[in-house]
Amino acid sequence: MKRYLKIAWRNLWRNKRRTTITVASVSFAIFMALLMRSMQYGSYNMMEREAIKNSTGFIQVHAPGYWDDKNIDNTFENTSQLFDEVDKTDNVSMVIPRLESFALASHYDMTKGVGIVGTIPEVEQSITKIKSKVIEGEFFQSPEDRGVLLGDDLAKYLDLNVGDTVTLISQGFRGNTAASINVVRGIFHFPAPDMNKQLIYMTLNEAQYFYAAPSRATSYSIMLHNPDKQNETFEQLRSKLGDNYEIMNWDEMLIALKQQIQSDNIGGVFMLAILYIVVAFGIFGTILMMTHERRREFSVMIATGMQRYKLATIVFFETLYMGLIGVISGSIISLPIVYYFYKNPIPLKGEMANAMEEFNVQPIMPFALEGSIYLNQAIVVVILVVLISIYPLININRFSLISGLKS
Amino acid sequence: MLITLSWRNIWRNKVRSLVVILAIAVGLTGGIFIAGMMNGMVAKQTSNAINNEISDIQIHQPKYLENSNPKYLISDVDQKIKKIKATPSVTAGCPRTKALVMARTASKGAGVTIMGINPEMEKKVTAIHNLIIKGTYFETSTRSQPIVIGEKLASKLNVDLGKKIIISFTTLDLEQIAAAYRVVGIYKTNDTRFDEMHVFVLREHLNKGLGINGNMANEIAIRTTTQEIAPQIAKDLAEVFPDLSVQSWREIKPSLIVMLTMMDQFSIWLIVIILFALIFGIINTMLMVIMERKKELGMLMSVGMNKTRVFKMILFETSMLALVGAGIGLLSSIGLIGWLSHVGINLGFWAEGLEAVGYSAFVYPYVSGGYYLNITILTLFTAIIASIWPTRKALKLNPAEAVRAE
Repeated sequence: MKRYLKIAWRNLWRNKRRTTITVASVSFAIFMALLMRSMQYGSYNMMEREAIKNSTGFIQVHAPGYWDDKNIDNTFENTSQLFDEVDKTDNVSMVIPRLESFALASHYDMTKGVGIVGTIPEVEQSITKIKSKVIEGEFFQSPEDRGVLLGDDLAKYLDLNVGDTVTLISQGFRGNTAASINVVRGIFHFPAPDMNKQLIYMTLNEAQYFYAAPSRATSYSIMLHNPDKQNETFEQLRSKLGDNYEIMNWDEMLIALKQQIQSDNIGGVFMLAILYIVVAFGIFGTILMMTHERRREFSVMIATGMQRYKLATIVFFETLYMGLIGVISGSIISLPIVYYFYKNPIPLKGEMANAMEEFNVQPIMPFALEGSIYLNQAIVVVILVVLISIYPLININRFSLISGLKS
Repeated sequence: MLITLSWRNIWRNKVRSLVVILAIAVGLTGGIFIAGMMNGMVAKQTSNAINNEISDIQIHQPKYLENSNPKYLISDVDQKIKKIKATPSVTAGCPRTKALVMARTASKGAGVTIMGINPEMEKKVTAIHNLIIKGTYFETSTRSQPIVIGEKLASKLNVDLGKKIIISFTTLDLEQIAAAYRVVGIYKTNDTRFDEMHVFVLREHLNKGLGINGNMANEIAIRTTTQEIAPQIAKDLAEVFPDLSVQSWREIKPSLIVMLTMMDQFSIWLIVIILFALIFGIINTMLMVIMERKKELGMLMSVGMNKTRVFKMILFETSMLALVGAGIGLLSSIGLIGWLSHVGINLGFWAEGLEAVGYSAFVYPYVSGGYYLNITILTLFTAIIASIWPTRKALKLNPAEAVRAE
């Protein structure tokens, strides 16, 4: 076996230029593929991470039926017993109780329907880093703070400044009327414009008071130490809490995002497929020439006793070498570039940035650095090489010795 | 003469030439297909946005654009619309009253944009009446005030036909009021975000609620014969109404233009990358051709074929190889895109994700004639680049030595 590998290697370099060009084509395809995939995976990861961090968390616990019928009456009691039970589950790093609903916010002659998020300031800060998003005024002073934080677009629309008061009216728990006047403590700016246009943050205490729903919550958002063990944690929570609560994974809650990623991904896969087909034709052309110009050589070898299958093995190794050298060189060339952009995502500017924000995506282009991307390209190339070497295999097994010797 | 010679040369080794031709054909067809799909998606998104949401041109009070408060009104709307409709290339125009309000049911609520419309006029401007999936477009008679809402909002608020929705808002006199509307129709566009955020009521009802005089409106939406002509018409109308802000769809939703230009650039770059990958194969084949015909080339040079002719012969050979491939690729893409643009492709499996960003799940791929032309030019260019190395190789041959080659 070792000898075949050696012979194949030497054969490969009998025509240096041709081999180099073929390897370069594989290398180019791999380089483009890796850059493209890292970019795509990078933005998918970012979208998922942002969504998990800013909206759903990895797992959520609700009152049964809350997700389909988001209603202030569909809340559960946030007892310390329940909280501890969830918090003490393995792999759970943080539990964020929130009370979320809607309200009509008004100031002077302007009104707007908004979403209200009641949360525990300290816990919220440790996950969403909302304190750093406050661009004017201050963050909540204490868990009992009665002030509110609102998005900059919303503040502009309602003509509110820090220190002004905003009137909130809504429907409270079990038909109570909810109404209050709150001081604007601060104004925040998130990368996602939807949040800036229609969100008001208040403390969980204040939200419970406002909606007349003392000690109730609409959801527990759960953050994990190790996201890879999400399913185990999910099962544990289910066995602990039973059917009294609705437990959902983030991918169930973010179906639209998941599908958006999938459909975009298909486009990327398709593009790569075409690139690889083109390169495969190039490799095939080279192999074709190699086998044809060596017909006489092959005939002589077979005539002197070389078995045809051994010859075929050598040609197979030659093809494999070309593919693998291409994969390795392409990976090595792309690695520093991917690594650089992985560490320093490309910020987008101008119209492009606006377009991205319209889709609620941060206007940066992050790269992913994942072994699986590299492995996948290698697998694809090896499969192509195996497919391509079918031709010389058939050719070597079929061609006529006599005419080969005469050529 | 030289061209015939090159053409015959190509077919001396059929399999090898066919591999290159096929590679080019498949590469280009694939590239054009992807570009066609993307074009189709963006074009559909643009036309959907114009047909259902923003129209070709919108007119507002300049201040309304800064702060969409319903108090910024356009006066003498009827007369203005009459004037607008008399403008050439304008097909329709309609007035709207618009306000940001809260829609709620007994237990749920959401911030929405309410549009007070005149259904008969609106039908000529937007296509929402064709997108009603339940109920009717203000044709159901009801004693309370009718409202048409998006499917997404209906599921968010958990309401159905015949159910009541409370709309709360501040009147122009700064009074907080809540008015009850009854759902008579539910529509669904390809943009879930639009469906979630927009509800339609009769203009007279909303005007009365807000305290607006009947001959006033916040917005006039206008359709023109084509979307391309809209910016020019907008410019003309801006001169007619110097006090108002007249915007074409390009200014109303700049992201559409960004998407369109991005797509144009992307589709060219895609082809460039594919052609670049093809260059390697072409170079290899042509180098092979030169090495194989060393003796023959030496002979030709010895009997007096000058360098220009040798150069031309190889260049022709490469170009013809590439152009035959491109020709086959273009023909098959024209066929494929032509057929698909007729029947369409259903991406229903990803509908929810696509519609969340305003794409339609049903795509009609299309490619402009100019794109095919660009590809042909690019392919020719590729052939010229690919032939540099092999021709240099050929020109460097020493006739005396080459003739003696094996």
